[in-house]
Amino acid sequence: MKVAVVVQRYGTSINGGAELHARYIAERLARHGEVEVLTTCATDYVTWRNELPPGVEQVNGVSVRRFSVKHERDPRVFGRRQERVFAHRHSIGDELDWLDAEGPTSPALVDHIARHAGEYAFCLFFSYRYYHAFYGARAAADRAILVPTAERDATIGLSIFHPLFRNVRAVMYNSPEERMMIQAVSGNESVAGVVVGVGSDVPTNPHPGRFRQKYNMRGPFAVYVGRIDENKGCQELFDFFEGYLQDPHSKLSLVLVGNSLLPIPQHPRIRHLGFLNDADKFDAMAAADVLFMPSYYESLSMVALEAWALGRPVLANGRCDVLKGQCIRSNAGLYYDNAQEFAETLKAIEQNRWLSGTLGRNGRQFFREHYDWPVIERKYLDMFDRIRHAPAARAIEPLPGWLDRRRQDLPAAEEVLAKLPTGPVTGHRLPDGRRWA
Amino acid sequence: MPEFNVRSDSVNVEHIMEQIRARIREKRGVDYTEEQIRELAAVKLEKFLDPRGVRSDLLDQFRKAMPAYEPPVLPNYSFESDTLFESHRGIIRFFRKLFHPLLKLFLFNPNPLIRALNIQAQLNTMYAEREAQRESSRRAMDQLYYELVHNLVLELTRTGIEVKNLKMRVESLSSRLEFNERRARALESAVVYKPSEEERPSRPSPPAAAASPQAAATTPPPQAPSPQPPHTQQGGVPPEGPGQRSRRRRRRRGRRGGGPVAGQFGSPGGSPQPAIGATDGSTEAGSETSTTFATSDPGAASASPTFASDDRSDTSAGQVRTAHDATEDDGSDDDGAPDTGGGEPHGQ
Repeated sequence: MKVAVVVQRYGTSINGGAELHARYIAERLARHGEVEVLTTCATDYVTWRNELPPGVEQVNGVSVRRFSVKHERDPRVFGRRQERVFAHRHSIGDELDWLDAEGPTSPALVDHIARHAGEYAFCLFFSYRYYHAFYGARAAADRAILVPTAERDATIGLSIFHPLFRNVRAVMYNSPEERMMIQAVSGNESVAGVVVGVGSDVPTNPHPGRFRQKYNMRGPFAVYVGRIDENKGCQELFDFFEGYLQDPHSKLSLVLVGNSLLPIPQHPRIRHLGFLNDADKFDAMAAADVLFMPSYYESLSMVALEAWALGRPVLANGRCDVLKGQCIRSNAGLYYDNAQEFAETLKAIEQNRWLSGTLGRNGRQFFREHYDWPVIERKYLDMFDRIRHAPAARAIEPLPGWLDRRRQDLPAAEEVLAKLPTGPVTGHRLPDGRRWA
Repeated sequence: MPEFNVRSDSVNVEHIMEQIRARIREKRGVDYTEEQIRELAAVKLEKFLDPRGVRSDLLDQFRKAMPAYEPPVLPNYSFESDTLFESHRGIIRFFRKLFHPLLKLFLFNPNPLIRALNIQAQLNTMYAEREAQRESSRRAMDQLYYELVHNLVLELTRTGIEVKNLKMRVESLSSRLEFNERRARALESAVVYKPSEEERPSRPSPPAAAASPQAAATTPPPQAPSPQPPHTQQGGVPPEGPGQRSRRRRRRRGRRGGGPVAGQFGSPGGSPQPAIGATDGSTEAGSETSTTFATSDPGAASASPTFASDDRSDTSAGQVRTAHDATEDDGSDDDGAPDTGGGEPHGQ
C-alpha cells in the first residue's frame, strides 16, 4: 500500500500545526506501508517563496517530493481579495481568485497528482484551505482523504470548499467541534469520517527537577508553551495573570516558553525562557502545576494534549469551542471566559491538590485512550480498510461555467460563519441538543 | 472504537465550573452587562433615582418632543428691476418697458421703489437663512444636552449599582472584621492556669470513682469528706448558684457566635491532652470540655465520656480553662469567683 501525504510545506524545521501534524502522520504511517510526501519548495507560509530545491529527498526516512510554487503571495492583492470574499457579496470567481492569491499555487504538484494518482492507494490532503488540497483532491477524488485542520474562521464559509467536503472519500477530523462545523456548513454527513487528532512523542520519564535546576525555578508555576502572540490570546493572558498576581494568596509564577511577538510584562513572577528544545519543553511542562492555553482558535491543541500526557491539568480559554470541549470531555482541565473566572479557576487548581491531581490523572487517561500513537495509527488503518471495501466515490462536483462563476450571489463568508452552530460538543450531543448521527 | 467518553467518576469539570461561577456571583453580587445597565437606566430609573427629578422614559419623551428638524419653506419674493413690468404676455411686457420712460417723466419715478423692494427681498432671504441656521444649531445643542443628561443618568445608574455592591462588600468585610476581632480577643485572653508547687498537694484529686466507669456507675459518691462542694447533686450535676445562670447564658451566647473559635482553639497552650475515648463531638464547640481532662491516669481519662457532654465538667481538674471560657468570662465573673477554675464549683 502506497500512501501520498500532500501538504503545503514539509520539513523538520517547519513547526506549523498542520505541517507538523502531517509529518507525524507520514512518519507513523511509514511503519505500516510506503509513504510519499508531496509538497512545495516553500518554507515560509506568508510569501510561499521557493526556498528548497524541487525533486525528491528523504526526511526522517520518508520520501519527500517537492514542486515549485508558480508565484509568491502578494499581500496587497491577497488582502483585497480576502476582504471581498469575507465581508461582501461575491461570486465563485472571486473565491477562486482568492484561493489563487492565497497560494501556495503549484500547478506542477497538481499535475503530478493527476498523472500519478493511480500509483497511490490513498492521498491524504492536509489543510483544506490551500491550493494543493482544493485542486489536488479534485485531481484524485476517488482516493482523496481530507485532513481539514479547520478552525472557526471565515474561510469555512467560502462555498468552493463545500463540494470538497462532500465528495472526498473520507475526512479525518481533529475534534468533534470541527466535525460539527464542517457537517453544518457542507452537509457531508454521508462521507466517512472519524475524529482522530494527532499523537505526540512525549517522553515517559521527564525530569522536572533538571528543569528547575537549569533555569533556577523555585516555587510553583504555570507554563505557557507556544508562540507568544496576540492572536494566540497571550495579551489577554498577561492581563488576567497580572490581575491574579494582585491576590496576596496567589503563589504561582508564569513561565513562558516560545518566541515572543509581544512585549512581556515586567514582573518578578513572569519569566520568559524563549524557545526551548523538546527535552527542556517537556521537563518544563512536567515541572509546572498547570498549563495555560489562552488561544481563541484551535483545531486541536497539541500542547494541551502533551500536558495531559504528562499528567498536568490545563486551564484553557473557554471561548475556544475545541479547547472547552476537550476540557469537558476529558475532565482534565478548567476553562475561563473572563478575568474573574481565570483567577478563580487558577486558584482552584493551585490550592486544591486533589483537584489538580485528579485533573492530571484524567488527562493522562484521556491521552492514552484517544491520542496515543497506537490509537491514532489504528484509526487511520481502520479508515483505509473501510473505504477500500466501500464503493468508489463519484467525482467532485465540477466548477460552474464562465457565466455562473461571475454571478454575484454568494453571501459574505463571515455571514455564513456566523450562522454555524457554536459551543463545545459534550458527550454525544450537539450544542443545539440534537444527537450525533 | 468509541471516540470519546468521559471516564472519571470523581471529577466533573462542568460541575466544578458551575461551582466556581456561583462563587464568583456570590462574591461580586449581581453582575450587570452594559445592555442591562442601559435597560435599567432607560426603564427602571425610579428604583435608583427620584422619579420626580428624572423621567424614566427620558428617551421616548425626548424623541416625541423633538421630531426630526426640517427647515420651513417660507414665502418670499424676489424683486428685481423688471419685476414691475413683468407679465406672462410678452406684448404687454414689451409695451410696459417701452412706456417706462414716459411713466418716469410724467407720473413718478418707480426706481427707488424697485430698489427698496429689492433690498427687502434680500433681507428676507438673509433672515430666513439665519433663522434656519440658528434653529438647527439650537437643535444640535439640545441633542448634546440630551446626550449629556442621558449619560449622566446612565452613569448615575451605574454608580447606584456599584454603591449597592460596595455596600454589600462593606457589610461582608465588617462581619469578617468583627469575627476576626472576636477571634483575636479570644486568643489574647486565653490564659492557661498552672498551679504552683505549693498548691498542688492541697488540690483535691479527681474522685477515685471516676477512675473506672464501672465504679462510677455502681459506687455512690462519698458522703464526707468530699472534695465537691456540699451543694453538688448526685450524678455530678451541681445546682446553679447566684450568677451562674447569667454566666451560662453568656457562654451559650458566646458559643453561638464563636463556636468555630472554640473548636479551633479548644486546648490553649497545648497542655491538656484530649481525653481518650471522648465522644465524637469532642471537637465541637459545645463539647470542648472533653479535651480539658488532663489526668495522669489513662484509666481515669477513659472515664471522661461520663462528663464529656456536660459543660460543667470542663474544670473538673481545676487546672485548665478553654479559650472559649476565657472569651466568655473575660476575667470578670458575676459571682466574683476567681477565674482559675472557670468559676465552676465542680471539682474544687
